[in-house]
Amino acid sequence: MESNGFNLIWLVLALPLLGFLLQALAGQRIEKAVGRRTLGALAVAPIALSFLIAVFLTQRLAGLAPGDRNVVVWGGEWIRISQLNIPFEAIVDPLSMTMVLIITGIGALIHLYATGYMSEEREYARFFTYLNLFIASMLILVLGNNLVLLFIGWEGVGLCSYLLIGFWYTDLANAKAANKAFIVNRIGDWSLTLGLFLIVAALATVFPKVSGDRILSFDTMLPALQSILKDNPALATGIALLLFGGAAGKSAQFPLYVWLPDAMAGPTPVSALIHAATMVTSGVVLLNRMHVVFECSPVASAIVCAIGAFTALFAALIAFGQTDIKKVLAYSTVSQLGFMFIGCGAGAYWTGMFHVTTHAFFKALLFLGAGAVIHAMAHEQDMRRYGKLAKYLPITFGTMLVGALAISGFPLMSGFFSKEAILGAALAGTHAQVDGFAIGEWAGLVGLVVAGLTALYMTRLTFLTFLGNEERWRTAPAEIHHESHAVAFGVSELLDLSDPHGFYKTMDSQAEEDHAHHGLTSDHTPHEVGPSMWIPLVVLAALSVFGGFLLQSNGMFEHWLQPMPLPVLGEVRTEPTTINLTMYSLIAAFAGMILGAIFYYRGLPANQGLDETKWTPLRLWQRNQFGFDQGVTTLAVEGGGDLGRSLWHWIDNGVIDGFVRGIALVATVSGGVLRQIQTGSVRLYALVMLVGVVGFLSYFLVASHLAIAVTGGR
Amino acid sequence: MNGVPIALYLGLGLFMFTIGVVGVVIRRNPIVIFMCIELMLNAVNLTFVTFARYQMSPVPAGGMARESSMMAGQMMVTFVMAVAAAEVAVGLGIMMAIFRLRQNIDVDELNILRG
Repeated sequence: MESNGFNLIWLVLALPLLGFLLQALAGQRIEKAVGRRTLGALAVAPIALSFLIAVFLTQRLAGLAPGDRNVVVWGGEWIRISQLNIPFEAIVDPLSMTMVLIITGIGALIHLYATGYMSEEREYARFFTYLNLFIASMLILVLGNNLVLLFIGWEGVGLCSYLLIGFWYTDLANAKAANKAFIVNRIGDWSLTLGLFLIVAALATVFPKVSGDRILSFDTMLPALQSILKDNPALATGIALLLFGGAAGKSAQFPLYVWLPDAMAGPTPVSALIHAATMVTSGVVLLNRMHVVFECSPVASAIVCAIGAFTALFAALIAFGQTDIKKVLAYSTVSQLGFMFIGCGAGAYWTGMFHVTTHAFFKALLFLGAGAVIHAMAHEQDMRRYGKLAKYLPITFGTMLVGALAISGFPLMSGFFSKEAILGAALAGTHAQVDGFAIGEWAGLVGLVVAGLTALYMTRLTFLTFLGNEERWRTAPAEIHHESHAVAFGVSELLDLSDPHGFYKTMDSQAEEDHAHHGLTSDHTPHEVGPSMWIPLVVLAALSVFGGFLLQSNGMFEHWLQPMPLPVLGEVRTEPTTINLTMYSLIAAFAGMILGAIFYYRGLPANQGLDETKWTPLRLWQRNQFGFDQGVTTLAVEGGGDLGRSLWHWIDNGVIDGFVRGIALVATVSGGVLRQIQTGSVRLYALVMLVGVVGFLSYFLVASHLAIAVTGGR
Repeated sequence: MNGVPIALYLGLGLFMFTIGVVGVVIRRNPIVIFMCIELMLNAVNLTFVTFARYQMSPVPAGGMARESSMMAGQMMVTFVMAVAAAEVAVGLGIMMAIFRLRQNIDVDELNILRG
């Protein structure tokens, strides 16, 4: 618990923050004064420096005994209310440092790439402002030593995601995609907030007797939570499911995945950084951080497993219907995130993080490669207009091929090891069980199928883009494409300005094409990208090849992340006893790749071509996400709008306003009746006055006579 | 004066008052209405002096002397006359203002306060 020598962690956090301030306050002036190249270097440098410091700190952390690798670094007082104390602290442990290395390492590479990719953009400084702020937010998320700090990072990441998806905000579709991401994330955040409240409520029963006043800091909170939840599985399930709701929002699991494919509207480096390598993994980080809660609840773990498996399968199937290269990768990300949750649900939390790590390598690589292709092809993203690009883009082709093999689970590549670990843990089926029904094993079997599908759609992507038999953009230039799209799928209708909420799904291919500086013409010749863009590709390719093997050897990653047996579950097996996993997963991977090669080696099949009337109904259905997104739009957005409108019409307008208007109506009607008296005729008033006086006088006269009669004259 | 019975004075007052009331209610010319109001006031004045003369009102125990209670009724008459004179002055002024505004002082036309 000594923080000696770990104070440098604040520098890791401060550097991106300083970079953000520099870009935000002085970025445009620097750009005018010394040019873009310097500004780009100033954006990359803080992240790269943070990475170097993080490497140094990680080495120091690894030097400690395994039980001591849990260092809390004091940063200062923050919130102190009565006996509650929430200090500003960072936690330096294997989990946070792993994430810091991924965030800053992959982040620095993507920043470098972005200096090249965005070099023709007008608002260079704004882009790097957001990008640096994003890195800082993500670091707060993983380094914060209490749930409040984690929540700040969580929201900061959501904000930056919104800003970056809507970076080209003048395009309505992008603005809508940004709104969609933000709002869908908000649903998850709502669940996470409720989870935090429930944790605080649970801790209040032991506060402050058991663990002092720093009740929300992880080092005191987790043991206290464990002692409470061990005897209270129902409460554990509640907390776990609420936390998982938050994780599902950020990590794009089934009901809340809809924002991630639309998030491809942002610039490609953003897609690589946020929506593949870092931000979407924060849900997995949350599950790892709070694993005590999930250990105490087999039911919640089974649900995590089931949702993960379903998401993996669902997204993999949708990927086959996509023609936009980035959309394929987006659904592949959703699918791989499902794998991570299978691992976490099965109780082998480190496998989830392992896949986070390897996935960060190869998914960043694939996205950056896709960005290079898009860059070379005049911002065209439709794979049906690619083909035979390997000749023009050798480096991109080579590195992307490595990425595709890694994600497909090719033996000895990084994806192979992490997927193997996850499926092994799931099939071993120790944790995710409900009444003896082993959901984990079923999730593992689904995972095997999805592994095959992954290999298949990645092969499809590779063949359609780089191989095949013709250069299709020469026969089908982009102008026709716009029209045919608009007619066949009603893009113009979906972009209708009368939908102010921005919830309609953005169709693929419209994301970046409006920013094309020049359309893809039939005489276009693609050129390989510059060194600032291919260097990150090569580095990431090397990591994708060797990363998994290096981390897996001697169980290094497992012992690093999980040196002790889990506090509740103890040892979690990651080897299935009943089947030979390695054989089956190799069969799945090679079957996928071989089938893909058979289907696509001659290029684009006719029933997947530009003329979408020739598509099979299944593929059209897949392209439309099995109608899920449209269903959500109809149900939640239009249904919610109708509900709101009818509430407004009947309750607000009818009942509440009706009450107020009723009172006014009473006054109006009674006034209308009473005003008839006011004739304006002076003589009538005089007459009425006379009658009144006579009436009163008569009354008093009669009354006094009666009184005299009653009292007998006295 | 003692030979005339009080009922004749009061009957004359009642007659004058009734003419005044009917005149106020049925006439449309405000000057005539004023004259009718004067009639009513004079009827009241007549009643006052009549009662003062005949001292119908019982003298309170240990109260005023005969002369002073006679004076009270006559003083009310003077008072009413003074108020009536002031009222006529103000009323005629109002009538002049209305005439300048509308070239017409028929009270039935003065109905802008009609609801």
